[in-house]
Amino acid sequence: MNNRIKEYRARFNLTQDDLAKKVNVRRETIVFLEKNKYNPSLKLAHDIAAVFDSPIEAVFIFD
Amino acid sequence: MKRAVIVFIVAIIVLATTGLWIYSSSGNFKPFDLLTFGIIILVVAFAVFIGIKRLTSAKRGEPAEDELSKKVLLKTAAWSYYISLYLWVAMLFIKDRVNLDTEEIIGAGILGMAISWVICWLVFHFIGVRNE
Repeated sequence: MNNRIKEYRARFNLTQDDLAKKVNVRRETIVFLEKNKYNPSLKLAHDIAAVFDSPIEAVFIFD
Repeated sequence: MKRAVIVFIVAIIVLATTGLWIYSSSGNFKPFDLLTFGIIILVVAFAVFIGIKRLTSAKRGEPAEDELSKKVLLKTAAWSYYISLYLWVAMLFIKDRVNLDTEEIIGAGILGMAISWVICWLVFHFIGVRNE
């Protein structure tokens, strides 16, 4: 699974720290997500997509 | 925050106990004792590292644990348990071939388990956990 978190974060002018606080996770989790080294739970994926006001499938690309 | 403080308290207690042990042995150290002492220092240093990490997270307003850190802990526990089984089998093999007391062998086994846990945690913490 790939994602476009970095791209969306830049579009919304958010730092990794800001996004981490908004979805209540540690900054490291966002770092690992952006590097595609971690696949989030459905809840975290939903929360991240909600921050970007986009559907999950727009932020996360399922192979 | 509370957990970070608990980690620091446990580290201080372990260091104090080690200090008492060194004081009571009054310099009669065997090479194995020095190794044990070195490993205890390593484990305490790791605990302090975790404590500092948690304090910095608390200061930044991050949660102490999230889904990734829980998964890292879970995978670390599973792998270190698996490694420990092989470690104890190796200890059973070694015990008949070396001249060590039962206490020393059990101590070495427990320290080996602690080290395997620390190594597994470091590996999964820096490499990440893919749930594929």
